[in-house]
This record gives sequence, C-alpha cells and structure tokens, in this order.
Amino acid sequence: MTTETTKMTARSVQVFYGDNHAIKDVDVDILDNTVTAFIGPSGCGKSTFLRCLNRMNDTIDICRVQGEILMQGENIYDPRVDPVQLRAKVGMVFQKPNPFPKSIYDNVAYGPKIHGLTRSKAELDEVVEKSLRRAALWAEVKDRLHAPGTGLSGGQQQRLCIARAIATNPEVLLMDEPCSALDPIATAQVEELIDELRTQFAVVIVTHSMQQAARVSQRTAFFHLGNLVEYGETGQIFTTPRDPRTESYITGRIG
Amino acid sequence: MTAVSTLLMLGILATLGFVLGRRRALASVQGDSRRLHSLPHYYGWAVAIWTVLPASVLFLAWQTVAPLGNAGGFAVLALALGGLVWAWLRSSATFRARNAVERAVMGLLILASSIAIATTAGIVLSMLFETRNFFSQYDWTRFFFSTTWSPRFQGDSDLGFLPLLWGTLYISFIALLFAVPTGLFAAIYLSEYAGPRLRAIAKPLIEVLAGIPTIVYGLFALITVGPLLRDYFAQPLGLGNSGSSVMTAGLVMGIMLIPFVSSLSDDIISQVPQSLRDGSLGLGATKSETIRQVVLPAALPGIVGAVLLAASRAIGETMIVVLGAGAAAKLDLNPFEAMTTITVKIVGQLTGDTDFAAPETLVAFALGLTLFAFTLCLNVLALIIVRKYREQYE
Amino acid sequence: MSLLAQDTRTKRRNAAERRFRRYGLTAIGISLAALVMLLTSVFSSGLGAFRQTFIHIPITLTESALDKSGTRDPDVMHKVTTIGYARVINAALAQAIADNGIVIDGLTDDDIADTISKEAPAQVRDAVLANPDLVGQTVSFSILANGRVDGYLKGRVSLESAAIDTKISTRQLALADAMQDKGLMSRDFNWAFITAADASDQRPEAAGLGVAILGSLYMMLVVLCLALPLGVAASIYLEEFAPKNRWTDLIEVNIANLAAVPSIVFGILGLAIFINFAGLPQSAPIVGGLVLTLMTLPTIIIATRASLKAVPNSIRDAALGVGASKMQAVFHHVLPLAAPGILTGAILGLAQALGETAPLLLIGMVAFVREYPGAPPEGFFDPASALPVQIYNWTQRADPAFVERASGAIIVLLVFLLVLNATAILLRRRFERRW
Repeated sequence: MTTETTKMTARSVQVFYGDNHAIKDVDVDILDNTVTAFIGPSGCGKSTFLRCLNRMNDTIDICRVQGEILMQGENIYDPRVDPVQLRAKVGMVFQKPNPFPKSIYDNVAYGPKIHGLTRSKAELDEVVEKSLRRAALWAEVKDRLHAPGTGLSGGQQQRLCIARAIATNPEVLLMDEPCSALDPIATAQVEELIDELRTQFAVVIVTHSMQQAARVSQRTAFFHLGNLVEYGETGQIFTTPRDPRTESYITGRIG
Repeated sequence: MTAVSTLLMLGILATLGFVLGRRRALASVQGDSRRLHSLPHYYGWAVAIWTVLPASVLFLAWQTVAPLGNAGGFAVLALALGGLVWAWLRSSATFRARNAVERAVMGLLILASSIAIATTAGIVLSMLFETRNFFSQYDWTRFFFSTTWSPRFQGDSDLGFLPLLWGTLYISFIALLFAVPTGLFAAIYLSEYAGPRLRAIAKPLIEVLAGIPTIVYGLFALITVGPLLRDYFAQPLGLGNSGSSVMTAGLVMGIMLIPFVSSLSDDIISQVPQSLRDGSLGLGATKSETIRQVVLPAALPGIVGAVLLAASRAIGETMIVVLGAGAAAKLDLNPFEAMTTITVKIVGQLTGDTDFAAPETLVAFALGLTLFAFTLCLNVLALIIVRKYREQYE
Repeated sequence: MSLLAQDTRTKRRNAAERRFRRYGLTAIGISLAALVMLLTSVFSSGLGAFRQTFIHIPITLTESALDKSGTRDPDVMHKVTTIGYARVINAALAQAIADNGIVIDGLTDDDIADTISKEAPAQVRDAVLANPDLVGQTVSFSILANGRVDGYLKGRVSLESAAIDTKISTRQLALADAMQDKGLMSRDFNWAFITAADASDQRPEAAGLGVAILGSLYMMLVVLCLALPLGVAASIYLEEFAPKNRWTDLIEVNIANLAAVPSIVFGILGLAIFINFAGLPQSAPIVGGLVLTLMTLPTIIIATRASLKAVPNSIRDAALGVGASKMQAVFHHVLPLAAPGILTGAILGLAQALGETAPLLLIGMVAFVREYPGAPPEGFFDPASALPVQIYNWTQRADPAFVERASGAIIVLLVFLLVLNATAILLRRRFERRW
C-alpha cells in the first residue's frame, strides 16, 4: 500500500529559543504517502519541530536551528534556500482554523496566485475546484464560493484551510493539532480527510490525542522534553513501546 | 458681601457642621461608636454636605442672575445654616449616614460625567443661537452657494462659504496625501519589520511629533517651509511667489498628522491576529505579500477609521493654516497659491474689535457650526467603523 | 526542481519584498527628517533670543535734568518722563564714544542715539525711581541696544541689508563694531526674555515672556484644579457605577467625539458662553483655563478610565467580600491603585492644554498685555497672555527681530513640555504595575 520512499530526513536537529534548548538532537525520516504523527506531553517540542520542517520558525526572532533537514538531498537550512519556495512545497495547516477575511474562492486561490502556478482564470478555477474537492468541501460550498471564508463553521473552516494548503500542490503537508479546536463530528470528518490525503502527500500531524494518532497515522514519533524518545510503526509504539517513558505516556502516567 | 468671602464663610460653616454632626452622633450613643449605624465621620460628612449643597446651588443661581450682593450673601449663608441645623438634628444612631453620604457623592459623580453632554449642548446651542441671528441678516443660500468671500466694514459684504470650503478641503487633501502613506508605511515597518533597537528609537521619536504644539508647526511653515517651497518650487516653476500656500500648509499639516496616522494604524495592525500571518507565511507568501494581501485588507476598516479621524483633525486644524495658508479666499487649483480655510476665517472674524450685531462677525458662528457638523459626522463615522473593527477581533 | 536555486518568479517576488521594505524605511526616514528639520529650524532661529546686546556705559545722572526739586522724592521725580532720561543717556553715550576715541565719518548725534533701545530710558528711570539717591552720581549701566544693532551682532543684519534699511545705517554698524572692540558693547544672557513683559512693535529687543508664562501658569492651575477632579469623578461613575443604558451610551459617544472636536470650536464656546453670556472678562486666565479644562477633560477621562479598567476585579471582590460598600471599595482600593495612571494622564492633558493656541485667540488672549496679572485668586481675572498666544502674536509683527523672539519662546514652551512629558514617563516607569 505504501511506497515507503523517504521525503524528508532530519539529522541531529537542535532548536534554541534564546537560551532555552527546545529540541535536542532529533533524527527523523518522513516517509511519502504516510501519515506521521508527533505525540507527546505539551511543551515537549513536537510543534516546534514541526515548524522546523517548513522553516516557520524563521518568523520568530529568538529562534535558532542547528543540524540539517534534507529534502530530496538538499538541506532546507542551506543559506541559498529561499523559505518562500520551500513553503510552497511543504504546506502547513494550523491549530486554529485561520481563513483569511476573503471569499472562499480567494482563500484557496491565494497560494496558486502568489506562486504563479496558473496561467489563466479558467486554470485557477480548476485548481480551486480540485483543491476543494480533495478537501471534501466542494459539495458544501460550490454554490457560495464568493461568500466570506470566515462565515463557515469551524470544521468547514479547517477543511478550507486544508484546501488552501493543498492548492499549491505541496509534497509534504504539516498539520499542527488540526482538530484541537473542532467538535467531535468535525474532527471525524477531518480525520477521514487526512487518511485520503495520504495517497498524494506525505502528511505530518502533531496531535495531543493518542487515540487520534492511533486512528490516522502509520508512523508515530514520541517526543519528551525536547528529545525524540521513540519513533516507529504506530502499531508497535502503542502496543509494545520500547522506552519506559513512552509506555508511561501511553498508559497515562505522564502528560 | 463678596462672592469670595461668602464662599469662605460657607467653608467655615461646613467644617463646623462636620465637627458638630460627628459629636452629636457620638453623644447619642454615649461615645460607643460601635452602636452607630455608620462610622462617626460619615455623620460629620452628612451634616457638611447638607450645609454646603443647597447653599451652593442658591449661590450659583444667584450669581448667574445678578452679582451676589449683601442680600444674596446672607440668603446663601442662612440657607447653609438651616441645612446645618436640620442635618445636625438627624445625627443619631439610627440615621444611615453612610448611605446618605454615598448618595450625595454618587450625585456628584453623575453630575461630573454629564459635563461632557453639557459641553456638547453648550457648543451646539451657543452656535445655533448666533447662527440664527446671522441667517436673519444674511440669506442662507448666498452663504452656502456664493463663490466670493469679501467682508466689508461698511456692510453689504459677500460672505460666500464655498471658497473657504475649497481651501479647507484642498489643504486637508494634500495633508492626507502626504501623511497617510508615510504614516502607514512607517507603522507597517515598525510593527512588522523593525528590530527591537530601531523600534525603541524610532517609535518614541515619531511620537515626539505628536506632542509638538500646532503653533510650532505654524511657525515652521511660516519661516522655513513656506520660503523653501517658494524659492525652490513655486518661483522656478512660475507658479507664484507666495510663501503661504496650500502646499506649505498641507505639507506641514501632513507632518503633524504622521504620528497620528502611524500610531492609530499601529494599534490596528497589531490587532490583526498572528494566525492570519502564519497562515499566509505557511503557504509560502513573502512578508510583503502577507502584509499587502492579508494584513492590510483585514485591517482596512480600522485604517479607514483612522484616516477619517485624521481628516477630521486636518479640517479643524487652525494654527498651521493661520500661519501657513494665507488669508485670501480663492477658488483656485494652483497649490502654490495662498488660499484660506474655515478656521482661518473664524479666527479672523472673531479677533480684534468685534461687533456682535454685524453679519461679518456672526458669520464666524455659522462657520463654526458648519465645521462642528462636518467633524462630528467624520468622528462618529470613524468611531463606529473602528468600534466594529475592534469587535471583529475580540 | 532544486530548492537551492531561486527561480525567476521567486527572484522577482524577493525584489518586490526589498522594495516594500525600502518604502517603509523611507517613510520612517521622512518622519525623522521632518522632526530634525523642525527642531533645527526652531533652535537655529530661536537660540539668539536668549542672548541680548547690551551697551555698558557710565551715566551721569545729573540733578538738574532728573530731580530739579532736589528733594529726592519719588513722587515728584515721577514727573520727569522717559524723554528726560533719554537725553541723559544719549549724552552719556556720546561722551563714552568720545572718551574711547572712536571716530566714524559722518556719524551724527542722532545716529549714536539710535543705537540705543527705546526701552533704555525706561530701564534707567525705573532704576532711579527705585533708588533716588543715585541722582547726582555717575553710575555704570548696562542698557539695551537697539534691535537692529542686536541683529547685527547676531548676524541677522548685515552691511548689505543696512544699506537699504531706513532704520539702520552702515555708519551705525561701524560704530557697533568699534564699541564692541572697546568693550562698550557685548552680548549677555538675556534674563529679561524670560521675565519681562511684552514690548511694542518698535522695541523687539525688550520683549519678554514674563506675562505669558505667568498667564499660562495660571491657566494650568485652573485646568489642574478643575479638570482632574471632574475627570476622575466622571471616569469613576462611567467605569464603576454607570448602568448600561442610553444615557451612559450618549455620554460615551459625547466624550469620544469631544476628544476629536477641533479646538477652535471650544474657543467659540468660550467666547459665547463665558464671555458674552456669563460676562467674564476678556483675556483673563480664568476663561482660558475654563476653555482648556473642557478641552482636556476627554483626554483625562480616557486615561483615567483605562487605568481604572486595569485594576483587576479581584481587588473589588476582596473589598466587597469584607463588607465594604461599593463606594468604599472604589475610593479605598481601586482609586489609589489607579492613581499613577490617572496622574500620568492628567500631566499629558496638561501638556496638551499648555500648547493649545487657537481657542485662546478667540477669548481675547492675543491682546497686547504689559501688566503682570495680580496674585490669585483675583489675578485669575486680570488680563494676561499665554505662551503659545504670545508666540502667535510675535509672528504677526513686522520687525524680523520678532521671529527670533517667537522661536525663542517656542524653545521655552518646548522645555516646559519636555519637563511635563518626562515627569509623566518617569511616573509611569516608577509605578508601572503588572497584574
């Protein structure tokens, strides 16, 4: 079912916030067509590490990243790399749905427009429709594409944000606790969507909920106090964890 | 008896009332203050308030009708004494002195907060009254639609409003044309790009511009900017040779408005949630694309409000135009020509020897009322827009 | 496609990014340049006002000219006007020039006399009337030089400009040079600029800010005594007690609007209500103070409400919990905690009031006032000027020497504002509290 090619490779990544050593020596391989879940207690560094993968940490002044993260053999922290180009390939969905105060159409068209991915209006229309379909939102919004995106319900907004992220046709999709602000029904819809997205992208999801990680991911990485404690097949992590800290977390003793 | 000595006596009576009231209350419980309803000093205050309050109302009423003579003074003091005795008699253990005092204080608080309304009412009424006088002597259609302004001492003046309105709008337009982009870009750079060091230096310096009185800007226009524009622009271009001009006043007013626009925009831009910026940057937009296509559109209503407030400031600004724009009422397009504004003419018609029966003086009130109505609309509109905007992100 | 190479589109977008940053930097540059230009302009033309040219000569105060009665009775000596003193001074100057061996071709007695300020006789007369025993002695005086001569020493007047000026000749300037060489003339610190009253059109060299500073001080006193208590009372009501209804809504809108009403409108209000209706005197600090009070109230109310709002509810709950009434909770606990913020707001309001000009023009403060107002409270009703109005007044005078005075007055005004704002900043730093 999976082709198991490596999409991104992180090697001895260290992150510092000022004097605070937030990520300590992390090695991870992100596989294509796979959902990788980052789990761990809050403050363990999982979101910070996720934000390293498309250099969103660059927007924070005091943040420093060491080590290397390779994408197709190229270090994304190479000074020659423009984060703008990188982020077109590594899209991101955030914790809280954050549609722009524009129409649904403009929200989705935003990425293709700034990256110049389409040549004509018709082509853009097509990209918007395709993205909304892939985000399982098309049926609900096709009649009101020009209504403001902020008028949608929470779950719809989050799927809109997913559509917006995949409209640039990225290779990797990063999701930072995408369901934490949603109700259970919307969560189920988004989880279902994540499973479908796996066929086209490498998906990395940070989650607070172990059940969610178990439901949607194939591989799981457990972070604790900035260390990557254990990384492997999701089934193996949840049934036979090798590290006692992982076991404590999964059984609810820490976290 | 003079007003001052009456007030002095009133103060003495109030102090006396305080002491007596407190003493009587304590005496009524044989000095055991725990048996009183309120703390002893509240009984003193209650008597003092009853001494002063009715008496000062009478005092003010008397003063507005006629100057306080001996009769007035004695009447006021008699009332004060009456209040003192009445309240003193009530000072006993069962009297709820604290509640009474707090009611009186609350009344004062409400009175103080109503001053804002009284001020607005005073502004509107005083100007309405004199404006009515003006329009009874001068045809209102001529005022609003005539294109000439030439007051004459011997009467039969042309008092057309249009040239003044034109000058006002032209100068304000140039001021905003300069201040809005400059202020906005400065705010954007300071809030989105600048490092902490630059921000710590540049921000307070720009705010210094806001603390400088307008008379200083006026002098700056008069002795520096005016001659500079005349010698290096107007004369070489053959556009006139006046130091005071629309351009002079507009530019200097623009400088004055920069901090106003930039600090308002700064507030508004910083209210745009960070999540929107993250969303855009996460899609691979550059910072400037994020600002232009996400932050600014989201902040637009607030910025429009800020611009409206700035426009209201520009229209009502006086000293810069008095010293920088000139006094000639003209309908002209040349920005290096001296023109005049509503505020300049208000100052002109109301300073020096004024005859409050002549339309040449009264016209200032009509101008003032128009100015007030104009800025009121702008202010209220801006306040509504800004308030709506704030609610959106709260 | 490699990440290491930027495609052309990215290059173009990054160029746009740099351009955008440059616009921002330019805007900041323009703002700062404007500030620098403004201050340079004011200081370069205004610093001169703090130095004044004086003529130092011994004057023989002859009895026959100044006190014919010989009684040394000031009441009798009052009869000698400044014209009498002018003669004495002119003679003394001519004598001093001759004694120092200064010879200039074509210099007439009138030329010499005209280098002295028209204010100088009054100066000497005041000194003599204050101390009648000086009559008959030869006393060293430092008298004011004429404004043009002063301008020459400050570089405002040149030989070229004097050639086409009817009020000064090149001979007089040559005399000034010679007198400077001999130490008869020098520029000294000009205390009179800060303490003296205004002077008429012909004697800019004598014009001072004393009355204006006193007038401004009186108005600030009125503003502080009225605006602070009223503003605090209104804020307490609106923030702590007011029910949410139409009346309070109306008050809120009113305050927000009044904060943005053009200041000149307050001047019209003052003229119509306080002067024409209530019959208060024109040019009086009390009227100016009342107008400025109404103008600064919104500022103070907005600042006070912000600092009341910043006091956390837990403080109020704690006070109410031990049985305090709501009023006691506010006055005993909330208000003291909010006091630094309120004071800061009041000082900033005061600074705004101090620099305000337009409304004061309408209530007659622009009048020429030479008499110092009396001591409060009666002094509040005496005519006075105000700092910003005095500046405006001087800009309307013909003699260019008044531009220097106006700019100098601005420096004084800015120093006062600086002190006020620095106090506010210090207060905020010292008492800033984070909940």
